Amino acid sequence: MKMTHFQALILFALVTSLVFAFLSKQAPRERIRYAIWSFLAFVVIALAIGWLMFPFSR
Amino acid sequence: MNVSTASPKEPSAARVALAFFIALAAWLVPGLGHLLLRRWSRALVFFLGVSAFALAGIALRGHVFNGKVGDAFELLGYLSNLGAGGYYFAAKYLAAAPPDVSRAAGDFGTRFFATAGVLNLLCVLDAYEIATGRKG
Repeated sequence: MKMTHFQALILFALVTSLVFAFLSKQAPRERIRYAIWSFLAFVVIALAIGWLMFPFSR
Repeated sequence: MNVSTASPKEPSAARVALAFFIALAAWLVPGLGHLLLRRWSRALVFFLGVSAFALAGIALRGHVFNGKVGDAFELLGYLSNLGAGGYYFAAKYLAAAPPDVSRAAGDFGTRFFATAGVLNLLCVLDAYEIATGRKG
């Protein structure tokens, strides 16, 4: 099985956000909001850190 | 000034024993604890989430730590892997090929399997708290 860094990031963000949403929120609407925000935060922050590290990669 | 010292009602010994049983079930099979507590949606999401990470970790040929602990990193890896419960014990039977962390995918696999264990431990704690009545 092969996986790119980005695919791994998406899988991690998606599954972790869903589990966190169900662990911390009770109402379906709150869970959806939490899962979406958490997913976006994982992806955007990871991409931002990746770009910040880019100048030091060579 | 009158300060209240009342503490929340402690669960009975029988309820704590039942909660331990549910926590054990939740650890062995992800989501089973919530299934026993009739929390259907949580049971389904926790089972699918932990299984996705554990199976992806195995399929990517990630390293599963055994009990031979050499340093703090290996100890943390072992404890997080152990958190995956049944998947930890089944990992060597489910793996089609031995671990290979020389590739990036193998490294992802190691992290995914560790994440499966940590998430499952959070789910176990959640099931225990619900079973004791401390959480709704």
